[in-house]
Amino acid sequence: MTGESAEYPRPQEDSDNRDFLEAWRDGCLAVQVCGACGRSFFYPRPLCPHCWSDRLSWQTLPGKGEVVSFSAIYRPNHPSFFSDIPIVLAEIRVAEEITLLARIIDIAPEAVRIGTRVRLLAKSEANRYPLPTFRPDER
Amino acid sequence: MDATQIGIIGYGQSVYVKRTERSLFSFLAEASRHALASAGLRKDEIDGLAVSSFELPPDNAVTLAEQFGLSVSWAYLGTAGGAGPVASVINAARAITAGHAEIVLCLAGDNYDVAGHYRLMDNFNRALKNYGSPHGFGGANGLFGIIQRKHMETYGTERTQLGRISVGQRASAMLNDNALLRAPLTLEEYLNARVIADPLRLYDCVLPCAGADAVVVGPLDRAPAGKAVRILAGYERHNHPPGEPAPLRGGWELFRDFLYRDAGFGPEDMDFVQAYDDYPIMVAIQLEDLGFCPKGEVGPFLARHSFAWNGSLPLNTGGGQLSCGQAGAGGGMIGLVEGVRQLRGEAGVRQLAKVRRGLVSGYGMVGYGHGLSTSTIILEKVS
Repeated sequence: MTGESAEYPRPQEDSDNRDFLEAWRDGCLAVQVCGACGRSFFYPRPLCPHCWSDRLSWQTLPGKGEVVSFSAIYRPNHPSFFSDIPIVLAEIRVAEEITLLARIIDIAPEAVRIGTRVRLLAKSEANRYPLPTFRPDER
Repeated sequence: MDATQIGIIGYGQSVYVKRTERSLFSFLAEASRHALASAGLRKDEIDGLAVSSFELPPDNAVTLAEQFGLSVSWAYLGTAGGAGPVASVINAARAITAGHAEIVLCLAGDNYDVAGHYRLMDNFNRALKNYGSPHGFGGANGLFGIIQRKHMETYGTERTQLGRISVGQRASAMLNDNALLRAPLTLEEYLNARVIADPLRLYDCVLPCAGADAVVVGPLDRAPAGKAVRILAGYERHNHPPGEPAPLRGGWELFRDFLYRDAGFGPEDMDFVQAYDDYPIMVAIQLEDLGFCPKGEVGPFLARHSFAWNGSLPLNTGGGQLSCGQAGAGGGMIGLVEGVRQLRGEAGVRQLAKVRRGLVSGYGMVGYGHGLSTSTIILEKVS
C-alpha cells in the first residue's frame, strides 16, 4: 500500500511557488525562466539566482528526464513513507540547465541506472504526490 | 590585538548519550564548565559567547548569556550547521583581534535522538522542507546516497575504500570512553551492514545523540603553561558551487590555497586531520578538496592509507561522529576538541606520539540536496 497523499508532508504554498504547485496539480512540471538573462532554474524563487532580476515567467517542460544519480531509501524521514520503501530518490536532468530531486515510482532500485529515462506521472496519478514525481519511460 | 597571538586556550566536552531527559542547556553548561577548568579561567573573565545548535531556537547566544549569568561584549549565533563551530572560532579570533572581546567561549551541542533528527530535517529550511521532505528524502541519508553514488560512478570510488574511514575511526573510538559506539568494526561488517539509503549502509551514517562541546578562544598567554594552541589559518565558504543539488566538491576547494599559504604549511605537514564525518563520502571529498590527493583520486588514496589514531593518516582520532555519535551541531566541534586535546598532549591512551599541528574541517547546513557550508582551521601547538 502506498500512503495517501494527505499524509505526506506537503510544501508550504506561497506567492513564490504557487504557479509551480498549481502546474503539478495539472500533472505538469513548470520552472522559472528569467526575462533578463534568459536562464532557467529550479526550485521556485522570487528572484533569478543568476542575475537577481524579478522579470520571471513560467515555462512548462516536456516532463521527460534522465537519471543523474539516485539513492534507494529504506529509512524515510517521515512515517507517511514507511509503507512505500524502498523510495527511489533521484537527481534527474529535466532540461539542459536543470537537475532536480524527485521520486521515481514503479521501478525496482536494481533496475535504475545512471541515464535511465523517466517521465512525469500522468495527471490522474499526480494528485497522490505533493511534488512532481516520475516513472520509468518505457518507449 | 596581534592575530598570531590568539588561539584556543581551553576545551571541554559533556558526556554523550543516546537518549536523555536532560535539557540542552545542561549539556552546554557541562561542556562550558570543563572548558573553563581546562583554560584555568574564572567565569567572569569570559566576555564573548558563540553558540551553534539546531535545537536552541527560540533561544540564541544572548538568551544563553542570560541563562549562564554572563555579560558579554560580543555574541555570535552559528548559522552554518556542522560548519558553524569552526566558523565561530575563526570569527571569535577576528573579534578578539579587533578588540571586541578578549576571551570567547565557543559552544556547540544538541540533545536530540534518532526520531528528533528526522523531525529536525523535515523542517530544516525553506527549500528542503518544500522540495525534499515531501519526497520522503530520508533525512540527510538519501541526499548523501545520491552524492556517494555519483562519486562512485564518476571516479570509480568503491565502498571497500570508503569503509576504511569508518573502520579506522572505530579503532580510535575503542580508546575513547565517551564514544557511544566502541565495539570493534571490521571492513566485512561495514560492507554487509543494513542498507539505509543505498549505497549508504549503517556504518556510513552517524548516530544522532545528545551532547555538547566547547573551546575557549583567547590570548595565547592566558592559557595554562604549555597548553596554548595557535590558530595558523582559518577560512569559511558558503553555497559553493551554487545551483547544483549534488556536487562532488565544496567550498574547501576555493580557500585551500589561501589556507595553506596563511599557515605556511601544506597538507603533508599535518599530523592529524579532524574532518567533518557525517558520511565517509564527505570525508573523502574533503580530503580531495583540501589537497590531500587530486580530485577523483581519493579511492586509491584511501586504499593506501590507514585512518586509526596510530595509522598512516590519523583521522578523527577520538572516533569522530561516526563512532562517538552526532550531537547535532556539536558534530562540528567534536574535531576541534579532539584536535586541541591532542595538541595539548591530553589524549591519554590514544595520544599521538608526534604532534605539532593539524587540520580541523567543518561541513553542513544541508539545503536543497547537499551541505552548503564549509569551514577549515589549522592549529599548531605553541612550543
